[in-house]
Amino acid sequence: MISWRGLLHLLAWACLLSRKPANCADIPEKPENLTCVAVQVKNNEISPTIGCTWVPGTRGSRDLNTNYTLFAEVVLVGLKRAVAKQNNSCEITLDSYPHHMILNIWVEAENDLGKVESEHLSGDADFIVKTSPPSDVKVFSEKHFPTSLLINWTHPIAAEYLKLIYQIRYCSSGSSTWTHVPPVDTAKYIQSFRLQYLQPDTVYVIQVSCKNMREGHGHWSDWSANVTARTPEDKPMSKPDLWRVITPGDSAHERKVLFICKNPVLSNGKIRSFDIRVQGTKWENVLVNGSDSESDYDSSQRKTTHLKQIVLSDRRMGYVEVIAHNSVGKSPKALLVIPKASQELSPVEGLKSWIHSGRLWLEWRPPNVPAGGDAHKYTVTEYVVEWASGAQRDWQREYANTTQTVIRGRLEKYKRYIISVYALFSGWTGKPVTVETFVEQGKPSKGPAVRLNGNPGSTEAELVWNEIPQDEQHGFITNYTIFYSTGTEEHAIPVSADTYSYRLKSLSSKTSYKAWIQASTIAGSCNGTQHSFITLKYAPKEIEGIVVGVCFGFLFLVLLVVLLCIYKRDSIKKTFLPQIPNPGNSSIGTWSPDFPSKADMPRESALADVSVVEVDLFDGKSVFEEDKACLPLKKDKYLSEEHSSGIGGSSCMSSPRQSVSDSDEGGDSSETTASTVQYSSVVACNGYKGQTPSCLPQTNSQPTFSRSESTQPLLDSEENPDMPRQESSRLLHLFPLNPQPRHSANFADMDQLEVEDHGGLLSLRFSALEEDSLQTVPTEEGQSSDWQQAAPVSNYMSQTAGYRPQ
Amino acid sequence: MYFQQSMEPVTTLLSLLLVMAVDSTRSVTLCRNQQCGNFLQQTLKLTRLIHKESVDLIKIYKTTQGDMSELFCKISINNVPDPNISGLDPSERIVSIYSHIQAFLPHFKRVYEQQTDLQLPTNTLMTELTRVSNRSSSLAAMVNCIYQSLFPNMPVPEPAGGPTSLPPSQNIFQQKVYGCVVLKRYKEFLSNAARELRTVKTQVCKKRTQMNVLS
Repeated sequence: MISWRGLLHLLAWACLLSRKPANCADIPEKPENLTCVAVQVKNNEISPTIGCTWVPGTRGSRDLNTNYTLFAEVVLVGLKRAVAKQNNSCEITLDSYPHHMILNIWVEAENDLGKVESEHLSGDADFIVKTSPPSDVKVFSEKHFPTSLLINWTHPIAAEYLKLIYQIRYCSSGSSTWTHVPPVDTAKYIQSFRLQYLQPDTVYVIQVSCKNMREGHGHWSDWSANVTARTPEDKPMSKPDLWRVITPGDSAHERKVLFICKNPVLSNGKIRSFDIRVQGTKWENVLVNGSDSESDYDSSQRKTTHLKQIVLSDRRMGYVEVIAHNSVGKSPKALLVIPKASQELSPVEGLKSWIHSGRLWLEWRPPNVPAGGDAHKYTVTEYVVEWASGAQRDWQREYANTTQTVIRGRLEKYKRYIISVYALFSGWTGKPVTVETFVEQGKPSKGPAVRLNGNPGSTEAELVWNEIPQDEQHGFITNYTIFYSTGTEEHAIPVSADTYSYRLKSLSSKTSYKAWIQASTIAGSCNGTQHSFITLKYAPKEIEGIVVGVCFGFLFLVLLVVLLCIYKRDSIKKTFLPQIPNPGNSSIGTWSPDFPSKADMPRESALADVSVVEVDLFDGKSVFEEDKACLPLKKDKYLSEEHSSGIGGSSCMSSPRQSVSDSDEGGDSSETTASTVQYSSVVACNGYKGQTPSCLPQTNSQPTFSRSESTQPLLDSEENPDMPRQESSRLLHLFPLNPQPRHSANFADMDQLEVEDHGGLLSLRFSALEEDSLQTVPTEEGQSSDWQQAAPVSNYMSQTAGYRPQ
Repeated sequence: MYFQQSMEPVTTLLSLLLVMAVDSTRSVTLCRNQQCGNFLQQTLKLTRLIHKESVDLIKIYKTTQGDMSELFCKISINNVPDPNISGLDPSERIVSIYSHIQAFLPHFKRVYEQQTDLQLPTNTLMTELTRVSNRSSSLAAMVNCIYQSLFPNMPVPEPAGGPTSLPPSQNIFQQKVYGCVVLKRYKEFLSNAARELRTVKTQVCKKRTQMNVLS
C-alpha cells in the first residue's frame, strides 16, 4: 500500500513537472528564515492571528513579479491561506487558535514560471506562541534574611492553554548590569522565587519573563515592568576606611592631625555613628550627620566623616582605632598609625601621572627598603592614593602589588588637584609623594587685577598684580603678558609666570595710559581688568629741583637786596627818611638887634641847647596887639651863640644852615633871594600875636626877643608878620633840650602837635599848651621869670602864606 | 506532437486526482503514525481546555440570561445528549467519546442560533460559543484519529439510535433553559472524557509501548 501510494505520488508529480520545462534560474527563490508568532491578547487568550516573516529571495524578483502566499494548516481541521501584501511578511487569521493541535505553516513564492515553498514550520500550535509577561509581580523583603528577596507573580495565561517556564533578572539600583538567575532554577511552572546572596541594605530592580514550557517551543515574553525592593540591613562586614589629614600646628614641632573616615565598603546599612579611640584613651562616639538614602560602594561617593582632631608632637607617634555602627551591629576595627616626624617611612618612587580618556592615571614604583632595614617591617601592605582640591579631599586604597591605577573618584576639569600616594606598612603611613595636575586645563576665568605701585612718573610707572586665585586659574599659568596702550598704540610685554611686578619705561609724559595683564595657560588666555593712569608732566625730582632752585634764587636775591640796603643805607636813608631837625635840638637865641647878624651854622650832631638871643626891641609893649601892633621884624642878621639845630637834630643835614636872614638884603620877606633864606624871625618876647595879652606881665624890662634858629626856612607868614594870621594858629612850641630846669615841654607834649595842611603846606599847629609850658629862651642876662610865667607862648606863627620857594 | 497537446489536459486532471487521493489518506497516515502517548496527551489537553472554556462559557451564559439564570440550569429536559461515556472496552469508550462530541455539536449550533436572537452580535457569549464549538470539532477529529491509530482495522461505528434529534421550536424561556442544559451537560461530558482519555493513555498506550519495545 505504501509503495503504491508513493508510486502514485511520484507519477503525479512527474506529470506535472513534464508539463513545462522549468529553468531554475527563473522560478522564485525559496523564502528563508520563516518565523511566525502568535501573541497573547487580553482576556488571557492567544490571538487567532498569526504573523509571519521571512527572507524573500532576490533571484525571482529581478524581472518577474513574485507573489507570496502564507499557508497555515491545522491538522485534522483544515487549511487556510493568506496572500502576502509584502514580500517578507504576512498575517493569517484562524477561527480560533488551535491549542494542542498540530499546526503547519509555510510560505509559497510563485511567479509565472513556477512556485517554491519555504521550509514548513510544523508542530504543536503553541510552538509559536508569545504570551504576555507575568502579571502582578511583587517583591518582598524579610527582616531576618538581609541577603534575600522573595518574588511573587501570576501566570499570564491559564495552564489549560499553555504551561510556562520563567526567567528572572535583577540589578542593584543605579547599575546597568543585570544579573540573571540560572535558568535551571526557574524553568518551572512556578509563581514565586527567592533571590539569594544579595547585599544587605541595597535596592534591587527585578524583572520576570516567561515562555512555553516545552523546550524549543514558543517565544520568550517581554520583561515585566521594573519592581524595586530593598534588602534589610545587616551588621557591617568590613572595617571603616580610616585616613588622616596632617597640617602644621600652631607652634613648632607640632602637628594637627584630623582623623577622617568613610563608611565601610560593606556597610550593610546606614552607618549611624563611629567609635574612635586615640592613643589608647577612652572610646568616644561620633554621630554621623545627614541621611544616606542609598548606600553606594564606589569610594568616590561614600561620605567622609570628620572624627576628631588632635595635636601631636613631631617627636611622638600616634595611633587611632575606629569602629563603625549601624542599626544592626558594629564593624571590625580599623587601625591607623601616625609615625614620628623623623621616622616617616619610605615613600614610593617615580610617581607619574597622565590623562587618558578624561581620567587621571598614576604610576609608581614600590618604596625602597633602607639599607640594613628589616624587609618584613618595610613590607607594603597597601597604598593610599589621595586627591585634594581646596577643601575637598578623597582617597582610595590599592592593593600592595598595585603600581598603576586610575582615580576612581569624579574629578572635575579645570580644577587643580594635589595627588599624593602613600605606602602603608601594616597601618604605618609612609612619606607622601605629591604631584599637582589638572584633568583638563582651561583658560583662566579671570585675569589679574593690575594696579600702580605708588605714583606714576613722567616716563615710568610700576605695575603690580597679584596671583589669580587657584580656583580661577583653571590651569597652570605659563606666562603673563603686560599690555599698555595710549589708545592709538598698544604694547605687549611677555613675562614669566612668577613675575608680579614690572616697571614700564620710556613712557610719554603727560599721557593717559591703559594697562592690563593677560594670564595664559596652555588652553588659552584671559585679560584682567584695565587700569588707567596719567604720567606726570615733570618728574617729581624735576619739580623739586625747580622749586629748590627758585627758592635759592629768591633767597639769593633777598640777600643781595639786604646787602645792598646795608651798603647803601645812607643813601636810602637820605632818600626815604629825610632828616627832620629835631626841635629838641633847635636853639632859640635871644638876641638883640645889636648882635651881629651872622649866625653860626648849626652843627650836625649837636643837639645844641636852644639858646635864646636877646634882642632888644623898641619897647616892651605888648606884642599881643594885633597886626597893627605887630612889631616889625628886623631882618638883621643875628648871631646866635649857639648853633641851632633843626628839629630832630641834624642827622640828615650835612651842614647846618644859616638861619639868618640878611636884613640888608631887604625888608620884604618875599624878596628873599636865593642865596639867603630866612630861617628865623625875631619876635618880641612879650609874646606873639594872638596870645592873651593879659597873661603877659607888664614889665619894665626891655622886651626880649626870641628867635628860633631852625634849619627850616621860614614861611611867608613868618617873614611878614603883617600878613594875616589865623587867630587859631598857634605857634610852634620850642622844646629846649638842655637839662636846665625850665618850664619846658617835653616830647610828650609833641603829641599835642597838630599838623594842618594849608593848601599844601603843612603847618604845625600846636594844641593849647599849658601856660607854664611855654618855653622861654633863657638869656644870659637872665630872663624874667615873670615873663616866663606870663608868656606861655609858642614861638612860631602859623605859616598861612605858605612856604616861599627859593 | 498533436497527441502530446491533446493529452496534456487529461494528464493534468489525472494528476490532480491522484494528488487528492494521496492527500485523503494523509490524515489516516498521520493518525496512524502518531505516537500513542503524545497524541493522546495532546487530545487530553484539548479536552481539558474545552472543559475549562465550557466552565467559563456557563458563567458567561448565566450572566447574559437575566435574573432566573440559576434556575434555568437546574431544570432537566430531554433531547440533550447525556454526559456519560458508554462502552466496556477502550475501543467502545473511545467511540462513545467521539459519538458524544458529534452529538453535542448540532445542539451547540442550535443554542448559537437561539442566542443570536437574544443577544447582541458583539456579546462575548457568541464568541465563546463559537470557540467551544470549533474546538469541539477539533476534539472529535482527534478522538477519531486516536481510534484509528489504536484500532486501525476497526471502522468507527455509527452511533446507535442515530443522531440526537433537536428539540422543536421553543419559546424564550425554553431556549434559555435548553441552552443552559446543553452547556452544563457538555461540560460534564468533557470531564468524563478527560478521565477516560487518561485511562486509555495509561492502559492502552503503555501496553503498546511495551509491545513495541519487545518487538
